[in-house]
Amino acid sequence: MSDERISVRGEELVLLPERAAYWPARTTLLVADAHFGKAATFRAAAIPVPAGTTDATLGRLDALVDRTGATRVVFLGDFLHAREGRAPATIRALAEWRGRRAALRVTLVRGNHDRHAGDPPRELAIECVDAPAIEGPFAFVHHPAALPEGYAIAGHLHPAATLVGRGRQAERLPCFWFGAGCAVLPAFGEFTGMASVEPSAGDRVFVIADDRVIEVR
Amino acid sequence: MASLGRAERWFAARGWRPFEFQREVWSAYLAGESGLIHAATGTGKTYAAWWGPLLEWAAEHPEEILDLDAPAPKGRNARRAAAAPLRVLWVTPLRALAADTEEALRAPLVSSGIPWTLESRTGDTTPAQRARQGRRLPTALVTTPESLSLLLSRGDAPELFADLRLVVVDEWHELLGTKRGVQMELALARLRALRRGVRTWGLSATIGNLDEAAEALLGVGERAMPARIVRGVEPKEVVVDSLIPPVVERFPWAGHLGTQMLPQVVAAIEEGDSAIVFTNTRSQTEIWYQAILAARPDWAGRIALHHGSLDRRQREWVEQGLRTGELRCVVATSSLDLGVDFSPVDRVLQIGSPKGVARLLQRAGRSGHRPGATSRVTCVPTNVLELVEVAAARDGIGMGAIESRPLVERPLDVLVQHVVTVALGGGFRPNELLAEVRSTRAYADLRDDEWRWTLDFVTNGGEALRGYPEYSRVVTEADGGRWIVDDAGVARRHRQSIGTIVSDAQIAVQYLRGGALGSVEESFIARLKPGDRFTFAGRPLEFVRVRDMKAWVRKAPNVKGAIPRWMGSRLPLSRTLAERLRARLDEASRGIFRDAEMQAVRPVLEVQAKWSRIPRADELLIERVKSREGFHLFVFPFEGRLVHEGLAALLAYRIARLRPITFSLAANDWGIELLAPEEAPLEDALAAGLLAPTNLVEDVPASLNATEMAKRQFREIARVSGLVFPGLPRSGKTARQLQVSSGLFFDVLQRYDPRNLLLTQAHREVLERQLESSRLGRTLERLAAARVVVTTPKRTPPLAFPLLVDRARERVSSETLAERIGKMQLALERAAG
Repeated sequence: MSDERISVRGEELVLLPERAAYWPARTTLLVADAHFGKAATFRAAAIPVPAGTTDATLGRLDALVDRTGATRVVFLGDFLHAREGRAPATIRALAEWRGRRAALRVTLVRGNHDRHAGDPPRELAIECVDAPAIEGPFAFVHHPAALPEGYAIAGHLHPAATLVGRGRQAERLPCFWFGAGCAVLPAFGEFTGMASVEPSAGDRVFVIADDRVIEVR
Repeated sequence: MASLGRAERWFAARGWRPFEFQREVWSAYLAGESGLIHAATGTGKTYAAWWGPLLEWAAEHPEEILDLDAPAPKGRNARRAAAAPLRVLWVTPLRALAADTEEALRAPLVSSGIPWTLESRTGDTTPAQRARQGRRLPTALVTTPESLSLLLSRGDAPELFADLRLVVVDEWHELLGTKRGVQMELALARLRALRRGVRTWGLSATIGNLDEAAEALLGVGERAMPARIVRGVEPKEVVVDSLIPPVVERFPWAGHLGTQMLPQVVAAIEEGDSAIVFTNTRSQTEIWYQAILAARPDWAGRIALHHGSLDRRQREWVEQGLRTGELRCVVATSSLDLGVDFSPVDRVLQIGSPKGVARLLQRAGRSGHRPGATSRVTCVPTNVLELVEVAAARDGIGMGAIESRPLVERPLDVLVQHVVTVALGGGFRPNELLAEVRSTRAYADLRDDEWRWTLDFVTNGGEALRGYPEYSRVVTEADGGRWIVDDAGVARRHRQSIGTIVSDAQIAVQYLRGGALGSVEESFIARLKPGDRFTFAGRPLEFVRVRDMKAWVRKAPNVKGAIPRWMGSRLPLSRTLAERLRARLDEASRGIFRDAEMQAVRPVLEVQAKWSRIPRADELLIERVKSREGFHLFVFPFEGRLVHEGLAALLAYRIARLRPITFSLAANDWGIELLAPEEAPLEDALAAGLLAPTNLVEDVPASLNATEMAKRQFREIARVSGLVFPGLPRSGKTARQLQVSSGLFFDVLQRYDPRNLLLTQAHREVLERQLESSRLGRTLERLAAARVVVTTPKRTPPLAFPLLVDRARERVSSETLAERIGKMQLALERAAG
């Protein structure tokens, strides 16, 4: 794994190829768009999405907590995908994970899917707050926006950057996108897609190339 | 047996005499036979199939025949209730053809006093008509394969078809070799099971594999019906000529003509009273319509365009205008080269490559319609090199080299869809349904494990989903009997997806003030911003917004802006035509330029010979060119685009094994381009067996896995098998939460359910259908025996030029992602770049 570091308003953030960011000063992992229960939502509508995406997403989260030593996780919205996805098996998997990680503090900044899906069940012990959640120089939100309260760290877009090269080469990769007043993190969930973003000159963009985070310009 | 007298009299009253083949079909039908009729368009196939069931009914119900001199019978509803229940299904591949077919079928009913009801049921049918048909179907129903599948998904399907005598499949050659054709085979098997003894007649243009076409239509094995193949009237004499550009520029546009031939096209249209201008794509139709109208504004109202994405009312207006002679010119795609029946036009023009011998013949048949009269088609090049293809097509016609339609073998996505359809339409018992499915040609070799997988997939989602209680699509009835669907949501989504077997998600285009214009692909609309201009249905439009699954537009003052493009519209050159093309180039390499076309293209080919080489039939030409973009390899097998796509991936894969390199690939009907930022080790690769027809079993799949072809092929499979849905009208939040791209689905299946047979199918389809792998193997054998000629021109020679500007690209790489992106830059906001 090869991370990248970026300094934002005097604070250091570590960008991780597992599609999350880490804030060492507060030992906090920032995770956007987990979309737990998305596959179950599809299955409930008789669309056969294979099982395993929830376990894989949780496995990646576990590995990240171990690797960084995080004591806290902030989900930047869209924790649960839909009300129909609150399947017993999904909730059970989340509860088991929470049991293993009882010492971890977990916060959810509500997003658009959370409004429809509802807050996670109480037994998951997840503190749920509305956006923006102000911490230090940052404003944690789901929807990207420039806010007076602080530098916004958001999700929602599932951003992907397009790279072009000589010989008509092109590549589309998930990315971290740092603009003037707002950053957008890649979507964390296994069963999530991407949407192309068009950064402006002056923005900083870090793509995820397999197990590496690489800044591109 | 009924006599043929009634039909003979009806023909005589019109001053006609039945053809011998029509009498043959009537007698065969009355004797209980099924079969396939092949003949050119407009030579009486329709009445050959239609009079059989009419004669049969008249013989069974002599007392019910109306006295045409008696006062008009009672009201419409009473007539409907009294009319005979459904006896004849008439399936047509394009809903655009339904109205016209209905009219042709109605003529004998009215004048012979046969009190049948006759209606259409297609995607165009109004809700009111649909509701009426829901209560009672007409005696004869004109429909499409999709609408027929929808009827089969009705709970009362077994009763609906209880009195069915005949299914006619019109333009069978159009369906053959496609998934819609397979859907039709399954529907026919279903109808034969629901109603023993139902007869089937197919109407087809002449194709190279009529025996297979008949098998696909009538089924195989114990349940197969003996097939009678009836040949219609002899094809008329066909003349193929070209509009020759007055000055052929040798360079730099490599012969690209665009609409430069417009003055000659307009002059050709002026020569007669009526003309059809055929193009190869719907976008070209829009472009040429605008161009002709701009050249002759006085023709406004007397010139029209016709393609499958236009609103029904506009298509009907055009068809009517052609019939009455009010229109002097229609610009059209294949939506008009099929059965729509109108008097022959004076001139038929073909814009762009003919693509195939049979296709050009079919289009030519639109002129000089009378049996025996001469047909003429005039080809209009959009690139001077296409003139070689015209000359090659004429050779093909002269040799009687008519293409075969390769058939599709057991696509599991279509089977998955059909099994759910049957579960909805009254349910099934697995063993009975298996026997029925195996009676089709497409699934005759369906393996037991494939069948078990299909059942597993529709009931519990397959291996990877076992133990997920929230999932159910098809369930077994409580008494352990039939397999059915009992969930309204599943039923609704399934019916929605039946209609989408052919195309990407379409979105309706409508004026804010009301009028519907037709539909375009969602991806085109997605790129538009409010206020953007585009041209569609021949009209300048301004995009306003998308709401309720419709793109709302208003009239724009002038024609500016994009023209929608539709996917999958790039037809490859047929194998027959490719062979003839190589023969013509071989002649040119020896300085022989027969015909006006070859004379016209001569200056361009002479530049090719001077800068590089015109390849002979026993040579393979490879050109190496260095440009600002990088290092290009152009390879010219002349085998058609599909084979070239596979070959490009294979060659790139084999070269990339020698050292880390990344290729961007392009393919067209003539050749291949491999482009890389560094020079490729061509000599080493040739020495290492670049063209060897060995190890194909390993190398071909490996090279395809290196590209995204299977992932793209999966788009269609995901749609057909009901994994992804077109946008649902009136869909609320719930539907949005079920939106996912087929690409994401593909990735998730590959990772979590790699043995899913739909994935296997995607790979197989790319191999067999997309790349015609058998043809790929034969091509490699030919190339391995060929003499390789490598040239190093300073600039891109004419044959390679169209490849150079081709935008559709695949990639094959042996570098890591990090190595690759180390050499790339971020694509910034368009305004900044």
